[in-house]
Amino acid sequence: MAVISRLREVAVDRGRNRSDRILFGTMVALSGFGLLMVYSATASTGFAGMERQMIFVAAGLTIYAVISNIDYRELKNLIPIVAGVVVLALLGVYLFEPVNGAQRWIPLGFFALQPAEFAKVVVILLLAAVLSPNNRDELLTQRQLTWPTVFRALVIVTLPAALILFEPDLGTTLVFGFILFVMLFVAGATWRQMLALAATAAIGVVVVLQQKMLATYQLDRIRVLFDPSVDQGALGIRYNIQQSKYAVGSGQLFGRGLFAEGTQTSFEYVPEQETDFIFTAVAEQLGFVGGILVVAAFAVIVWRLLVIAANARDRFGALIAAGLAAMMVFHVFVNVGMTIGIMPVTGIPLPFLSAGGSFYLAMTISLGIANSIWLMRTPVPGENQLT
Amino acid sequence: MKFALRLTTLGIAFMAMFSVIGLRLWFIQVAEGPQIARAAEEATWLGKSSFAARGDIYDRNGTLLATSRMVPAVMVDRTFVQPEQRDELVQELASIVGIDPAQLDALYDEAGINGRFQVSTVSNETAYAINESLDELPGVEVVKVPERVYVNGPTMAHVIGHLGLPEEADLTERPELDRNVRIGKLGVERVYDETLQGTSGTIEYRVRRGEIIEQRPPVEPVAGSSLVLNLDLALQEKVELALEQGVALSNEVKEEERDKGEEVFSETQRAAAVVLDVNTFDVLALASYPDFDPSNFVAGIDETTFDELNEAKAFNNLAVSGLYPPASTFKAITYTAKLEENLPFPTEVEGIDGQLIHCDGTLNLSELADGSVQVKHDWYDPRDLGWLDIHGALENSCNIYFWNVALGTYQAYNGKANENILQDWASRVGYGHETGIDLTSEAPGIVPTRQLFEEWKTYQLENPDEPPRLEPSRLDLASPWLGGDLMDFAIGQGAFTSTPLQVASSYAALVNGGIILEPRVVREIVAADGEVTPIDRPDPVTVDIAPATRASLLEDLGRVVNGGTAAAAFRDFGEGVENIGGKTGTAQSTATRDNHAWFVGVAPLDNPSYVVAVLIDEGGSGGQVAAPVARNIMQYLAGNEQTPIVQGEEAD
Repeated sequence: MAVISRLREVAVDRGRNRSDRILFGTMVALSGFGLLMVYSATASTGFAGMERQMIFVAAGLTIYAVISNIDYRELKNLIPIVAGVVVLALLGVYLFEPVNGAQRWIPLGFFALQPAEFAKVVVILLLAAVLSPNNRDELLTQRQLTWPTVFRALVIVTLPAALILFEPDLGTTLVFGFILFVMLFVAGATWRQMLALAATAAIGVVVVLQQKMLATYQLDRIRVLFDPSVDQGALGIRYNIQQSKYAVGSGQLFGRGLFAEGTQTSFEYVPEQETDFIFTAVAEQLGFVGGILVVAAFAVIVWRLLVIAANARDRFGALIAAGLAAMMVFHVFVNVGMTIGIMPVTGIPLPFLSAGGSFYLAMTISLGIANSIWLMRTPVPGENQLT
Repeated sequence: MKFALRLTTLGIAFMAMFSVIGLRLWFIQVAEGPQIARAAEEATWLGKSSFAARGDIYDRNGTLLATSRMVPAVMVDRTFVQPEQRDELVQELASIVGIDPAQLDALYDEAGINGRFQVSTVSNETAYAINESLDELPGVEVVKVPERVYVNGPTMAHVIGHLGLPEEADLTERPELDRNVRIGKLGVERVYDETLQGTSGTIEYRVRRGEIIEQRPPVEPVAGSSLVLNLDLALQEKVELALEQGVALSNEVKEEERDKGEEVFSETQRAAAVVLDVNTFDVLALASYPDFDPSNFVAGIDETTFDELNEAKAFNNLAVSGLYPPASTFKAITYTAKLEENLPFPTEVEGIDGQLIHCDGTLNLSELADGSVQVKHDWYDPRDLGWLDIHGALENSCNIYFWNVALGTYQAYNGKANENILQDWASRVGYGHETGIDLTSEAPGIVPTRQLFEEWKTYQLENPDEPPRLEPSRLDLASPWLGGDLMDFAIGQGAFTSTPLQVASSYAALVNGGIILEPRVVREIVAADGEVTPIDRPDPVTVDIAPATRASLLEDLGRVVNGGTAAAAFRDFGEGVENIGGKTGTAQSTATRDNHAWFVGVAPLDNPSYVVAVLIDEGGSGGQVAAPVARNIMQYLAGNEQTPIVQGEEAD
């Protein structure tokens, strides 16, 4: 068993390398803090919301530990299988009844699996595999990405992105675009290739708009940022944005205190607060100080992911870490951005804090892979750097 | 670019994105935090209204015209409905109330998150049934809401008006409005809406998951004030009946004309009348035919009924918004101006002898350069009435006489500072601008002048695609205003338009000694606590009219009724007919429409107290059709027996 032998190798040969404790510590801190916030946002219905999330946190941290100790290079071989499973799962969502007008979930009894969350991680792995050189010759001869490589990357992203766009889930679709853009840049795309990609994206946007592939509410969520009079769905969008702004603004510098009476949070005036709008619970109860600390914690995670990318033993690992950093940044920017009125309202959750199983597990898997890259950073003497 | 450099660049870009978040957080939480916190605190309070009773409307004798009764209505407060309960609630409630679930769904959406809306008013039985099952109907409550009752159906509909739910524009203009409370849309219901409306009370509370957790002391509603009108219900009923019969009479006349082979363009369908107190300008009656029943609007009018009424122009209050040339009724103003300003007759025109004019149906204008003589024929009455002075001219409505007045005025003043001397008289007694009556959609009318025609010409040349107001041949002239236009004006024709109210109020001014007030349909406001406030009105405007001129006019108006163009119509008036005056009018309409019939009555002549203006839209001859209607109304006012409305003499 290759996996077992790797585990031994890690344990014996790389005993000097320690896990990224900053990364792990920040993740655990955010997760614990998230449980507290989920509880505060659902307190009126008791502990159920938090207890459920605790199960996901426990499962997620276990998976993190396991994946950390699997050599990420093994994943290269698993990619085709995992990708196939994910594509099937993405198709599988259409077998089930829509929830709130969207088909994003596969009900599994106690929780509903959301394949799109895992698809993000799988696409990062796929892109990293495609964009990294396959052997020493390629590394030495090809200083730049070839056009066919760029094209292949584009195709890899388009398939799952299109499936998710039709769920519909515009926000998650855009995550793929951002990840592709960042990973191509890191992988050494030329300016021309980047421009070509931007042009393709622009054409894509035009096609989507022309073919009216977006629902009115999706367009309105964007338009409402610039024109407050847009209010499709009977006050729904503006109400969300307004309540969210009220909650964040009410926090002021130091917050109104955890579980304070009479807050927007305790009144549950913010819709979806324990999931997509969890940041409003932080900002209202703990103020600017609490909010900026959470943002700083994410900055630390992103910083660690970029350090891991810089220290990765091979380009495959480096690209994975950079892709994960891109995913993390996009989630934080769009999620927090929407609660403070600078991004459209989309169903993009906040890593480690938002209640929800699939996304939490996908995040811990991501950091598990990152930690594995970190553990493997020092080459074993005499070992080929590229294999 | 090296790999490490690319990663560094990426790191800088990512940190920039985090900084944007940080700055925006600082802005919202620290810079603007206190303001937002205050707004947020206020936003956690939800409110619902308790409805104020709308004021009543009474006639001048205290007879109830419109009131409100409290009826049960079903309200839904979305604050108390959890999202997952919505569909079931909508289905259930729609079947109990008996409306389309889709419609209820739409109302639900429209109300917005935490919104409260009225589903409909319901019978007492339905209200009872809903109250029995409130446990299964989250957010539903049965409240008493005021519902308007119009005691006399369509009588006085155009004055009273009707109610309707506020539209978005109303809500923007008057933010204090409750979207569930109907507001006035027409008539005094609209003009005095804020007086009648009262102030809704509010109950403010905070809610968590459908439970009220905190409440503020409620603000009680303040009932609206009531209105007392100047109109007299009994008189109004007589006027409306007379108008209806006048329209029928006009159609009888048209039938006869058709039988005689004369040209008739259409059925008579519309009419209007105003009875005005000449001293106070109180509106004693004001009617427009056809009418509508404001009760139809109480629970929202159905589309078919609305379209039918709208098609018939039943919502148009023709007495204040219908525009017609005042026709020969205007001769009383030209008459007064002639005497007051000593307007000259033309020179070099045949048929003038001192103060006498030869009323033979033609006006021979001066010889033209080519030796031909331009002859203008009386457009309506070709008979030879002999030589007439101003008194005989008014009595017989001689167009030739008043044409000569206009032509003389044109010759004397054309191009000079006072060339609008006749039009200025018209404006002073109320033409060409709103009278300022307290009703909706009053039309100003048009008093044509050289300046106006020149504006029209400029506009027409710049906008050739729009419908022309001047004949194309006028556009070639240096000035489109001609002597013929002033001649048309002097007999109330041409581009001149006015409303029946303007005609009535101009006569009031002529016979009361020159005092003009804004007409009022409302006399006083009675607050819920009984305090009475008379309606305020601007100071009167005075026009100088010599007592001799006024006396002469009154005498000649009497001759119209007792021997002139209205004599036949007033034959059956009964006692006191010698104390009645008036003037007939027949307004030329477009080439394909029948003439409009006018009559303005004044009584009593020895001490005028009221004027009656009657207009039958495309009704035919004033003397034949409108004068009998006015006679019938004036019989009632004089306390005489009202004799049937039969045709009078066909006269201008």
